[in-house]
Amino acid sequence: MAPPYHGDTREFSMAPAKKIKAKIKKTLPVTGPQAPTVSELMHWYCMNTNTHGCRRIVVSRGRLRKFIWILLTLSAVGLILWQCAELIMSYYTASVSVTVQFQKLPFPAVTICNINPYKYSAMKEHLSELDKETKNALETLYGFSEGKSKVRRDAADWNSTGRNMQSKLLEKIPLLKFDDLFKKTATEILSGHKRKIEGSAFHQGSSMVNIGEPQDVVGFQLCDPNNSSDCAVYIFSSGVNAIQEWYKLHYMNIMAQIPLEMKVNMGYSAEDLLLTCFFDGISCDSRNFTPFHHPLYGNCYTFNSGENGTILTTSTGGSEYGLQVVLYVEEADYNPFLVTSTGAKIIVHDQDEYPFIEDIGTEIETAMATSIGMHFTRSHKLSQPYSDCTETGNDIPVANLYNKSYSLQICLHSCFQRAMVDTCGCAQYAQPLPPGAEYCNYKKYPNWMYCYYKLHEKFVKEQLGCQQICKESCSFKEWTLTTSLAQWPSSVSEDWMLRVLSWDKRQKINKMLNKTDLANLVVFYKDLNERFISENPANNLVILLSNFGGQLGLWMSCSMVCVIEIIEVFFIDSFSIVMRRRWQKMKKWWNDRKAPRPQEPPQVNAPAKEGHDNPVCTDEDLPTFNTALRLPLPQENHMPRTPPPNYSTLQLNAAFTDQLPDTLEGRSH
Amino acid sequence: MNLKKYFIRVLHRLQKGPGYTYKELLVWYCDNTNTHGPKRIIREGPKKKFIWFFLTLLFASLVFWQWGILITTYLSYSVSSSLSIGFKTMKFPAVTVCNASPFKYSKVRHLLRELDELTEAALERILQSKNRDATSALPLNSSETPSQTLNLRLWNQIPLVLIDESDPERPVIIDLFETDESGSGAQPNNSSPALVNVTSEAKKQKVAMKLCSRKALPNCIYRNFTSAAQAVTEWYILQSTSIFAKIPRNETVEMGYQPEDMILACLYGAEPCSYRNFTPIYHPDHGNCYIFNWGKDEEALFSSNPGAEFGLKLILDISQQDYIPYLTSTAGARLMLHEQRSFPFLKDLGIYAMSGTETSIGVLVDELERMGFPYSDCTMNGSDVPVKNLYNEYNTTYSIQACLRSCFQAQMFETCGCGHYLFPLPEGVSYCNSEDDPDWAYCYSSLRSSIGHRQFCIDSCKETCNDIQYKMTISMADWPSEASEEFQYMQHPLTYERDQSRNATLDRNGIIKLNIYFQEYNYRTISESAATTIVWLLSSLGGQFGFWMGGSVLCLIEFGEIIIDFLWITVIKISNWGKGLKQKRARAQYPDAPPTVSELVEAHINL
Repeated sequence: MAPPYHGDTREFSMAPAKKIKAKIKKTLPVTGPQAPTVSELMHWYCMNTNTHGCRRIVVSRGRLRKFIWILLTLSAVGLILWQCAELIMSYYTASVSVTVQFQKLPFPAVTICNINPYKYSAMKEHLSELDKETKNALETLYGFSEGKSKVRRDAADWNSTGRNMQSKLLEKIPLLKFDDLFKKTATEILSGHKRKIEGSAFHQGSSMVNIGEPQDVVGFQLCDPNNSSDCAVYIFSSGVNAIQEWYKLHYMNIMAQIPLEMKVNMGYSAEDLLLTCFFDGISCDSRNFTPFHHPLYGNCYTFNSGENGTILTTSTGGSEYGLQVVLYVEEADYNPFLVTSTGAKIIVHDQDEYPFIEDIGTEIETAMATSIGMHFTRSHKLSQPYSDCTETGNDIPVANLYNKSYSLQICLHSCFQRAMVDTCGCAQYAQPLPPGAEYCNYKKYPNWMYCYYKLHEKFVKEQLGCQQICKESCSFKEWTLTTSLAQWPSSVSEDWMLRVLSWDKRQKINKMLNKTDLANLVVFYKDLNERFISENPANNLVILLSNFGGQLGLWMSCSMVCVIEIIEVFFIDSFSIVMRRRWQKMKKWWNDRKAPRPQEPPQVNAPAKEGHDNPVCTDEDLPTFNTALRLPLPQENHMPRTPPPNYSTLQLNAAFTDQLPDTLEGRSH
Repeated sequence: MNLKKYFIRVLHRLQKGPGYTYKELLVWYCDNTNTHGPKRIIREGPKKKFIWFFLTLLFASLVFWQWGILITTYLSYSVSSSLSIGFKTMKFPAVTVCNASPFKYSKVRHLLRELDELTEAALERILQSKNRDATSALPLNSSETPSQTLNLRLWNQIPLVLIDESDPERPVIIDLFETDESGSGAQPNNSSPALVNVTSEAKKQKVAMKLCSRKALPNCIYRNFTSAAQAVTEWYILQSTSIFAKIPRNETVEMGYQPEDMILACLYGAEPCSYRNFTPIYHPDHGNCYIFNWGKDEEALFSSNPGAEFGLKLILDISQQDYIPYLTSTAGARLMLHEQRSFPFLKDLGIYAMSGTETSIGVLVDELERMGFPYSDCTMNGSDVPVKNLYNEYNTTYSIQACLRSCFQAQMFETCGCGHYLFPLPEGVSYCNSEDDPDWAYCYSSLRSSIGHRQFCIDSCKETCNDIQYKMTISMADWPSEASEEFQYMQHPLTYERDQSRNATLDRNGIIKLNIYFQEYNYRTISESAATTIVWLLSSLGGQFGFWMGGSVLCLIEFGEIIIDFLWITVIKISNWGKGLKQKRARAQYPDAPPTVSELVEAHINL
């Protein structure tokens, strides 16, 4: 092209380059990006673009047709935009895939607990008072007696035993028998005092369950010690429930004060619990079980906890190759008020998981063989932005109090415990201790029970925000259990079985075992198929782009190139044209002010018109300024593209060389 | 004719040289192609030309890159799963019922008499040892022990020993029936060190099974048991297996529970059925088993209603009094739901039903339909699995359990020379028994605990593509109810029906009621379909090409055409160049310019 310095000289006596330019402008159709007006540009764009609708608008004859084509083109554009928006919005969807793999499977951890947490014989001294009180309460309520005299022992007797605190506590939260709910009067069951109930809140059943006669209602009352008018009264439709709840309340208070080592000693040892153990055809014993102290279930034992670094695997399905244990639950040594059922509780879980045995345990009956067949399923969800789950739990603002990997339940319990420590100043007994806190007991925190009950109610009603903070974890392992029962030992084998098992037990106890003290448990893999349910992103960028391409191509035969063209033409070129025109107007206005004489019409418009009327551009594909210089199209424009080119005509001897001999000269400068 | 014309034209073209240059061709292509980029290259000024050239190249490479990704995605043969849940009329599952005890004790007593006496005596011994000083050998008190009358032949094959570990360094091994006391010469051995630690502080005395190989060197291993009960049971199972292995099949069937004794009442939907509707099958673990609705000879039954009213109701009698005392300590019926024409593997997939109860089982058919190769590594019918399915003799379909057992049996035959009693026999092989193959227990025990052999079987077997699990919701209630009238009312008619006797021979310890029915939602099917089909691939490829360059297959063909043209030009040019070279060479023979006519004439004249 013309070197830049020629432009500076155009004001004055015609430089040769200027002359050439003028000449070209006169002869050539000036369109394309260099078009003088926006409508020219649009016309050029529509004729030359690769998208399909636009050209039709220009080419069509008749207003109706033009209008229809405009409408169609616009609706096509609209459709494209709509569909692409849909595609983007559905970008974060996941598809689920289920794979089954047959392989050696890791055997899960199996945690076994006795339903009774501590040996009653060992606990007796701690609980004697409470038990006496409970017995008395039962007697008073139901006229039930154990053959003993109904005479109540007076408080002085207890005080002499030196446990003032407990009896005080018992006095503070007595069982009440409600005489009349409307008059709000109650009788203390133990002392027989009548008292007026201040609290307004009635809980646990009053709203949901229709309690028969108000005379039968039993419950207890928890008051804020600082403000005795602020009380919550818990009533139960059944005295049994009331007494059990009341017993548990006091039991937890007492247990919270006993140090851990002592509690462990009071519980069952692994040798006590396990009579025989057999895994995968090989004998095992108590050393294969890892002890674990559960606040509510005492000493529990985990088989295959992975603590020593090895996790047992199963390479054959079937009951013979699983875990077979015979448990010894000493029914005679059960706490009669705390637990009313006999047996053991087990839970199958992953080695990293905390066994929430109180929530999701399976109970094992005595004098039965319980056979538990398992199927293994692993699932994995996609985390943000696909779904609201957490991979590791690190992004949850609740500290994990359990020494295990994150789960929703751990989060909820930890969250509650944190709230408990914040509100009541001490930690609840059933959950682990946060650092720096201690378990609630009545000695130090006299109002903790009231606080706990209030807080727990809030928690259940989702007012603490725990349910909102805690997210489910993205991956989890699940063992589906099929439990079935059979009689064990069978009537004919009972005799020798019990004899030999007693021999096995001989080191610990020297007596014949009873079959109601024994439970047989078999846990095995039904088959070694591992089902893995996983979510995968349904879309990726490649697929999204090809879908875009499909949409653009379907409606308008458009592509990325067209999009760039549109940007180029509509934004850059039109902008520059508008600016140029502004500039020329300004210049004209300036010139007019300087020399108010009438002048020639501006040069620029004239050649444009000329260009349009130029016979050269009868062709629909108008050559641009640049292409015209370089690559003129063949003159027979009627069928410009169809036949293979007549290559000889592509020589540079085209139309303009003879017309503009000085072009070459000018360039050769 | 046309061909000839064409060749002539080709020849002409070759002689005349190409009618156009590379550049012309390229320009023409750019101007006329349907892909969007190239046209802009030639239509714009030099700056834009460069930009468009660059963009076109960029887009072309993007297209190829994304195509690569799409094709690899396609070749990974991923699947998408769809889940459907609901109720539909389905084939009622085949129901296999067995007794936990394989044989009636009254019928096998004569076979087991020796073994039982031996067990009884051994138990005596073990229990006696409790109060004795462990280090002293058990004296054979001839006046008390029945050992003279005992036949120790069975015992000597697989003896039980008492290992005294009061001194952990030197465990003392005492054979229960022999006075000789072997020191720590033979090492108590167990295959899994993870489970057993020999230095025990918990139990001072333990019972172990001594398994010896007599083939080569006397090589013994001791299988330790932490519990004597476990040891005695395992030992008894081994011994009895060896005894039953010698008995021909038709006799063992006779010794088991007969269908008319076991199945007292049957009702399917509203239709009565009886033990005749059950197909008998001999199962080595559980003796005679009976399969309802196996679909072998007749069409499988369909169930089109959910609920217990429309399911199968059975009353079974397991006659617990007739159990073999040492063989099975668990009493109950064993049952399993499985597909039609498949073999019931009760040890793996079966459940128990307890006597004296009514067990209700709600069924949900959980089916997984998978696509075979290349989408998943599963087998449609087991024909491509390198293990010979021994369960073919039952005319059943392939299952992974059948494959694993066949694989084990093949290995058993390879290493021990005989087949295990619990699995079907390959051709020409007999079951292991202690008389013919004295080493079999040793051999079996080592094979069973060998991880390598198991892994081999796991690797060679493949799971089936259609995996059906019957999810059961089991609930139980006491049955018949305690009210004695009702029990009498149940007991007498049932007894009368069976034995034609007025004396009640049934009791609560024997009878079981079973209800098996479909749940309200009886199927949950997860089926796979190919996530990427060829249609998907093509449309994605088209989408990519269209998105970046507005191209289509025709554009690719155009491009191919241009390349052919290019090659054609090249061929012509090369041939021309070759021709030119030849001419040059021909000219080169005369270093000077060719002589003019006058020179020639001159030369001629000069001559």
